[in-house]
Amino acid sequence: MRSGRGGLLACCLALALSGCGGTAGTASGSAAAGSEGVPTSAVPSSVVPAPPGALLSPAVVDPATVPAPVSVAVPAIGVQSDLTELGIAADGSAEVPEDFDLAGWFSGGGRPGSRGPTVLLGHVDSTAGPAVFYDLRDLAPGDVVEVTVADGSIARYAVTGSEQFPKDQFPTAAVFGATTEDVLRLVTCTGEFDRGARSYIDNLVVTAERLP
Amino acid sequence: MTSTRIARTAVVAGAVGVVVLTGAGTASAESQVAEPATFTSAFTVMATPEMVVDADSAPAPGQPGAWGTFMYRINSDLDVLCYDISITGVTPPYQSPAKTATHIHEAAAGKAGPPRISLPDPVDNGRGRMVSSGCLQGPFTTGLAPTGTDTGDGFTLAQIEADPSAFSTDVHTTAFPAGAIRGQLSQVPTGGVETGAGGTADDSSSGAPLAALGGSLALAGAAAVAVRRRAVRS
Repeated sequence: MRSGRGGLLACCLALALSGCGGTAGTASGSAAAGSEGVPTSAVPSSVVPAPPGALLSPAVVDPATVPAPVSVAVPAIGVQSDLTELGIAADGSAEVPEDFDLAGWFSGGGRPGSRGPTVLLGHVDSTAGPAVFYDLRDLAPGDVVEVTVADGSIARYAVTGSEQFPKDQFPTAAVFGATTEDVLRLVTCTGEFDRGARSYIDNLVVTAERLP
Repeated sequence: MTSTRIARTAVVAGAVGVVVLTGAGTASAESQVAEPATFTSAFTVMATPEMVVDADSAPAPGQPGAWGTFMYRINSDLDVLCYDISITGVTPPYQSPAKTATHIHEAAAGKAGPPRISLPDPVDNGRGRMVSSGCLQGPFTTGLAPTGTDTGDGFTLAQIEADPSAFSTDVHTTAFPAGAIRGQLSQVPTGGVETGAGGTADDSSSGAPLAALGGSLALAGAAAVAVRRRAVRS
């Protein structure tokens, strides 16, 4: 276990509450470390660019043919939650969980074991305090995310990076665009809190790749 | 052939392909526009050879080993479509009776249907993929008018929003004229995600700009979106 992690976690929480933003450094460090050598989500690691005719087709699995995800666990930050199904709101934006302690899963996307992405959404906090994905920003490359699916089996992913985006420049294609890979993304809010709108200005997206 | 000329003149890196008006003498065609600030909907497609059908809706598998990912972002108030297309393993030349060989068809899964939008064909990005991206504003024409009326006539992007799975996208080549790859449109959320309301996780550092978009989230296609966190004002 990471004995030093508890101390680091407390420090980050304190900094976050005081707005000192130490976690911003953590996130960028994770992104820099995690993005090196990571294959792009658009090109599966099994496909190497080659002259036409020499390519091997990746196995593109239809999400409807595999069980739906039902719960998520992230041991490194103590997250354990059932997953509620999320769709698309009337204005085209992402539905989010009504329960701040419950993570959700975009049911119109991928699933563990199928083409990706599988996208999980969770609140960072509520007016009552930290919510289910409060500590998402503390994830480091290599941290394991376990997604249990409806038949009881567990799909394991390893974090490869964390990235932060202004909501008004949200990279829809990068986060929700279809990919042949079984990739997992966890999304929550971060950044400056706009007190007038009671909303964070940024989103935090953690990417994790399927472990065999 | 017109579609080949378009492929050669389109600029590779993140640019809008050239759209050529047909000389059919009908209503004006789509125009290239800047990306709008917001979108009303977004759709992704995983296109594969197994999904291709012929004009009689019979299975007509496309090019083995080929696949493509498409992202369509729509602002139906403005009738603007922004497209980001990346295909792999599709062997040129393109071929289609429409003005290009990359289409959005009004066709349910497993069914044939007319093209409604004709998009600039993907071009080689020098890294093993063929890409096409840009934004177009309607009205749209396809250059295909089997009964005298262009198949894009009267079509608006709001129709896609009303029934996304009734629309498919594909790429046609000489080797696979019914389609090398095809997939149905699937809606995804657009815009940022509202996952936080308490302000206890406020991260207001004027901070060092984040690492540039890393490989783990690289966009499919050449249209890389600028995703640097904006400077925080106190």
